[in-house]
Amino acid sequence: MTELTKPIPVPDPRSEGFWSAAARHVLALQRCESCGRIAHPPVVICPACLSGEARFTFVPISGRGRLRTWTVMRDAFLPAFRQEIPWVIGEAELDDARGVRLLARVAAPAETRLTLGTPVETVFEDVAPGVALPVFRLLGS
Amino acid sequence: MTSARGRLRSPVAIVGYGLSPIERRSSKPLGALAIETALAAIGDAGLRKEDVDGFTTGAVLPSAGGHAAVDGVSIVSATWMGEHLGIRPRWSSGFQGYGQLPGSVMLAANAITSGAADYVLLHRALANPAGRYHENPMLQAPGGAQWTAPQGLWGPPAQIALPYNEYMQRYGATREEMATVVVELRNNGSRIPWSYWNGKPITVDDYMNARMIADPISILDCDIPIDGVAAFVLTSAERARDLPHRPVYVSGYGQGSPTALTSGTVWTLDEMMEGGRIACQRLWESSGLTREDIDLPQLYDGFSPLVYLWLEVLGYCPEGEAHHFVQNGAISTATGLPIASGGGALGNGRLHGVPQMLECYLQLSRRAGDRQLANMEVGLACHSSPHFGGAVLYTTEPST
Repeated sequence: MTELTKPIPVPDPRSEGFWSAAARHVLALQRCESCGRIAHPPVVICPACLSGEARFTFVPISGRGRLRTWTVMRDAFLPAFRQEIPWVIGEAELDDARGVRLLARVAAPAETRLTLGTPVETVFEDVAPGVALPVFRLLGS
Repeated sequence: MTSARGRLRSPVAIVGYGLSPIERRSSKPLGALAIETALAAIGDAGLRKEDVDGFTTGAVLPSAGGHAAVDGVSIVSATWMGEHLGIRPRWSSGFQGYGQLPGSVMLAANAITSGAADYVLLHRALANPAGRYHENPMLQAPGGAQWTAPQGLWGPPAQIALPYNEYMQRYGATREEMATVVVELRNNGSRIPWSYWNGKPITVDDYMNARMIADPISILDCDIPIDGVAAFVLTSAERARDLPHRPVYVSGYGQGSPTALTSGTVWTLDEMMEGGRIACQRLWESSGLTREDIDLPQLYDGFSPLVYLWLEVLGYCPEGEAHHFVQNGAISTATGLPIASGGGALGNGRLHGVPQMLECYLQLSRRAGDRQLANMEVGLACHSSPHFGGAVLYTTEPST
């Protein structure tokens, strides 16, 4: 049976810095040069200072964080994910960027007992040449 | 007493309605269904189509499935409606955003108050496209999808699962508790002749055994996609006096209008509640009414957890307690707060805010037939999530 292909992220001028760092297995998020605010997903205008300069850099940041929430996926609206059922997706608040959240698959079986605040770290999984996705790994278990 | 902001300068009323059959897939094109329903609404209001000079709707096709939005086929815009009725409207405008029903009512009411139009036809047409509603064969994920689709997160059921799980974990809510809400909505819907679920009530066991989609969301926590159209005619209170039915007045409204998502990929529970509190504050300011004045709060339930959020932002119970509040007959139409009397989206089918608005209209105009509830003077019709949707207050008397 042919394995269906999962969607691959298509970088754009705003997100290129995230995906090029991800390809090197580095988490880098978009920082406003004017006020230092980290935004994710990347923005066209800084929500904190609205600076017309709109200059941003991608800065490496620790991928450690705590689960804000998660879901166990038991149906797939993207056909290639049918073979993954059930899988876990979580959103974690990053320890070093207050209030900023990253969404990723949680590398844990669906039966795993998770709680709000479960500590995770971000690792990267290569999915295509030059393309890697963030994945959460549980810490301290 | 809240200070008055956003009040209508003169009263506006709903004076008639039309509703198409609600079917999984209609044998008619959506546009044909829409025209038929519009003509029914205009006739119900005691008007000729030539009297109508304004059109509005929120025409979005809420599908993540990548289906093309073709005007007259999978969506019906306000301009399409005017053109195909053979009317050259003085005013025509679509609502941009979520909460399409309250948003369209706001546009219609302001067009009438300002004199841009005298009789406005407001409609909502929803299509169930061929194939699975949210299924998407995309191989590349550009734009917003780059942050979700490569992880396998796709479609609103999974997106609402995340804040709903946050709610359940934070407050210790259970699926057994939600069964009370869904069973009440489906049972009320089963008694409504036009409902897709007419004659099909469910039990708590049905709910508990429902197929899971994205924990804690099951198939029964989602409204079923259908082909259907509703239309309402609105005009000034002054003109409404000459028309056959008892007018139902628009007495206030509020929209949540969230700011952009810049700190994460999906809305958190706290962000949803914050936007909802703003929507409710606007509701009270624009109407001079309070929660205690409401006889018929029709809460939005396109996804079941939204019922909890509306109960809490409206102040029926403290934050985090809606899952307790709904138990023991508290939301039974027979014995409690009739939040589900119209069956909502879960009890009718995916008509967005139509069931809520229609129930307010029917009950307040005394046209609910054998479902008529006594002493209904103030109704509230909610739509969408409180943070980016909205709500409209309806009354049997014009507000002063």
